Amino acid sequence: MERHALGLAAAATAAVLLVVFYYPVATVFVDAVFVDGRPTIEPILSVLSSRFYLVDIFGFTAYQALLSTVASVLLGLPGAWVLARFEFRGRETLRSLTILPFVMPSIMVAIGFVATFGQNGTLNAVLGAVGLPPVDLLFTLEAIVVAHAFYNAPLVARVTTAAWESVDASAVETARSLGASPTRAFRDVVLPQLLPAVAIGATLTFVFTFASFPIVLALGGFQLATVEVFIYSRIQNLAYAEAAALAVVETAISIGLTYWYLRYEGRNRGSGQGARPQPRRTLWPEAWTAREIGTRVGIAAYGVVVLAVFVGPIASMVLASLTGPEGGVTLEHYLFLLERQQTGASYQVRPLPAIANSLRFGIGTLLVAVPMGVALAVLTTREFRGRAAVDALAMAPLAVSGIVVGLGLLRGLVFGVEAFGTRIQVTGALAVVAAHAVGAYPFVTRNVAPLLGNLDPRLVESARSLGATRVRALVDVELPLVAAGVVAGAAFAFAISIGEFDSTVVLAEGSTSYTMPVAVERYLGRRLGPATAMGCVLLAVTSLSFVIIERFGGRYGGRGGF
Amino acid sequence: MKRRTFVRTVGAGGVVGLAGCVGGNGGGDSGGGSNGDTATEADSDSTGTTTGTAASEPPELVVSTYGAFVDAPSTSPGPWLKETFESEFDATLDFATPDSEINYYIERALQGVDIDADVYVGLNVDMLIRIDERLDEGLFTPVDDVSGQGDVKEGLNFDPDGRIVPYDTSYVSIVYNETMGDDGDYVAPETFDALLEPEFEGDLLTQNPTGSSTGKSFLLHTVDAKGPDGYLDYWEELQANDVRVLSDWSTSYNAFLEEEAPMVVSYSTDQVYANREGQDLAKHRIRFLNDEGYAYPEGMSVFEGTDRPELARDFLEFMLRPDVQGEIAQRNVAFPATTTADLPEEFAEYAQAPPEAVTFTYDELRDNVSEWTQAWERQFASK
Repeated sequence: MERHALGLAAAATAAVLLVVFYYPVATVFVDAVFVDGRPTIEPILSVLSSRFYLVDIFGFTAYQALLSTVASVLLGLPGAWVLARFEFRGRETLRSLTILPFVMPSIMVAIGFVATFGQNGTLNAVLGAVGLPPVDLLFTLEAIVVAHAFYNAPLVARVTTAAWESVDASAVETARSLGASPTRAFRDVVLPQLLPAVAIGATLTFVFTFASFPIVLALGGFQLATVEVFIYSRIQNLAYAEAAALAVVETAISIGLTYWYLRYEGRNRGSGQGARPQPRRTLWPEAWTAREIGTRVGIAAYGVVVLAVFVGPIASMVLASLTGPEGGVTLEHYLFLLERQQTGASYQVRPLPAIANSLRFGIGTLLVAVPMGVALAVLTTREFRGRAAVDALAMAPLAVSGIVVGLGLLRGLVFGVEAFGTRIQVTGALAVVAAHAVGAYPFVTRNVAPLLGNLDPRLVESARSLGATRVRALVDVELPLVAAGVVAGAAFAFAISIGEFDSTVVLAEGSTSYTMPVAVERYLGRRLGPATAMGCVLLAVTSLSFVIIERFGGRYGGRGGF
Repeated sequence: MKRRTFVRTVGAGGVVGLAGCVGGNGGGDSGGGSNGDTATEADSDSTGTTTGTAASEPPELVVSTYGAFVDAPSTSPGPWLKETFESEFDATLDFATPDSEINYYIERALQGVDIDADVYVGLNVDMLIRIDERLDEGLFTPVDDVSGQGDVKEGLNFDPDGRIVPYDTSYVSIVYNETMGDDGDYVAPETFDALLEPEFEGDLLTQNPTGSSTGKSFLLHTVDAKGPDGYLDYWEELQANDVRVLSDWSTSYNAFLEEEAPMVVSYSTDQVYANREGQDLAKHRIRFLNDEGYAYPEGMSVFEGTDRPELARDFLEFMLRPDVQGEIAQRNVAFPATTTADLPEEFAEYAQAPPEAVTFTYDELRDNVSEWTQAWERQFASK
């Protein structure tokens, strides 16, 4: 059994992908190449020959995604450096919470941004207090870019932190003892191990922001419409051929980029020994040399930016949930949640079931996505022809528009297929977990694969020669050494599940398996109180979950090392 | 799948042993397929959630609608309607609220999957056009001689084929904040032309016509005011004057409340809420551009495949009754569809109707609305 465990895991992964991803998506994509039952390339051709679509839409979408990627990397890297290289109280908790922006429903981000960066927002209040002129950030390209950085800088930071914590200190020490300066040692030893992580963070960010939808219209406006806005519009109007053609082109670009990255990742294999992280420095230096002071000023400045971009929007959402209609502190919105819980009818959305469902799906996703992701990571660190292509196909769930996946799940799973005189349908909790896992496992793979690739193959070989099976060697030797990556991947898997909306509403249609983001959406009304209160509940529940995941994962990692 | 034999051996004992993998149409029990696909279809349905005592239980009416109709955080008509209807009729009323609303059922019909709802509440002319464009057979049955239909206001009926009965209507207008002027006396422009004046630059928030009914109504209002040949030029100037077209009503209304801009496209019943919530009415003034408001009636109809046509008709009649019309209007914060609704005095005080209601007919929209919207999208999103 153990002998074939990896193969089985890979086969199971392929089967799940086929049922809850490839088949459903194919039911939509087919509209781009079949019209009235006849094969045609007309829809795709008309997209590719339209100057408006190519330049104004695809060109602009790529441009804003590029800006967003640069902003996310610039904002995420210093965070990774602080988290990986400095020791301070609450560091681990802070590291767990960096993923929080990732689960914020877009409507909450929009609310937080208006309150923070709007004309009467916190930022302008602060600027006014120190005598600076107000800035108007909203409804511009800048607002979209900052919001995308809000979502994705944490991703860059997390992936890079995991890689940084897996750098073997002895390699750095060796370089230093051979006379390399700290800068030189960093450049030659540490940087090569960080670059793949930064590159994957950047690639994922680009793919995500390329398919961004609600944020673009909520903080930018229709003049800044992206591809996804037009896909949504065409699907709303049931113009499936055009929607599918747009989605096919969008996916091709994303997958192409991912493939290109994976070729690069495959060429950059390190040969690390293990993971004995370098000792961290204290935030409060021993001696105040010029260099140390410069470093601390930099960290302080970065702290201010983090306050503005991350803490500001989240804090203003918390504040909104405590504010009454004419200002003044109130708990009425939370009372609304209690009341809805107690008196809500069966067809209404109640907070507690939403919390319970979210947690159930989140834990389920974690349990399914981590083995899936690790199996694929092991597979892709082997050398075989077409590895990058297989890998890129496995990454496809990130590259396909969420709106298209939603429609595909409706056609493919909710409606089901006629077979042997019965209709086979796949809905309910299992389907939701499967759909979430498909969206989540690529994160596990991408967090683990680069680190696995960096391990010295002799570690596995010696374990195998001592009689361990491949799986045994993986679980006992390799995974503990790359625990930072596994834990980061697991946290992402959980976060993806908590934040997922498109597939959840389709698969939980009309039943009682609504989740926290669905509840937030439902409680939106003329006043924002109830929705923001639910949003705060979502944040509280997920924060706690992340801290628990990290603590638990940290213990597992503690078994490894030397 | 050996589901058939499995079902036969267990009988209709309400076994839920398939872990949500097979069957189950969202927990509802449609009591047989409407298209009568196969015997098995009906078979597997009857094992859904029934407990084998179907005969003694009151019949079930499934009413599908949009989420806010049953679940808005302020007030929604849904719960009251269910309670009142069930107290008067021997029936159970169940709500279904698919996220993609009517598109969910159009999609079901397109894919040949049976529909498990009896009535849809919340139809508009846009949806009707989509139904008629995509489906050879209408989704809904013609509804005539429902008592109370004669009381529906002239001009609200939007279906030439008589499948849809309006139950309420809103008017889309500008809502503005008087306190945002330099001396606290901001005055919104009175005409579409005045909206282009430099003094109103960046002052108006509206919504994506594809994702929002207010946004769509405002766009159509400009088509009505400027003509199909002139509305794009008008929008070009509006865009130059920095109009903001945001994703949806909530987002834009929140920005308006945060005083990001002094005007927002919304409903003319805005003060009903403002008054209810004790807000400053000066921050919620209504303006009807060109003295017009764009009418947005909502309608209901009976699904073609319903197996409870009588009960569905009872429900429609119930919805048009004067007392029920008054309740819907107050709880949905909209105007009743009939002339005979029972409404308190104060409703008229805060719910403002336009001097003149504007709306396009079904026929005018059917041939043009997609084209108008798509041309607008292309122009507005050109970088």
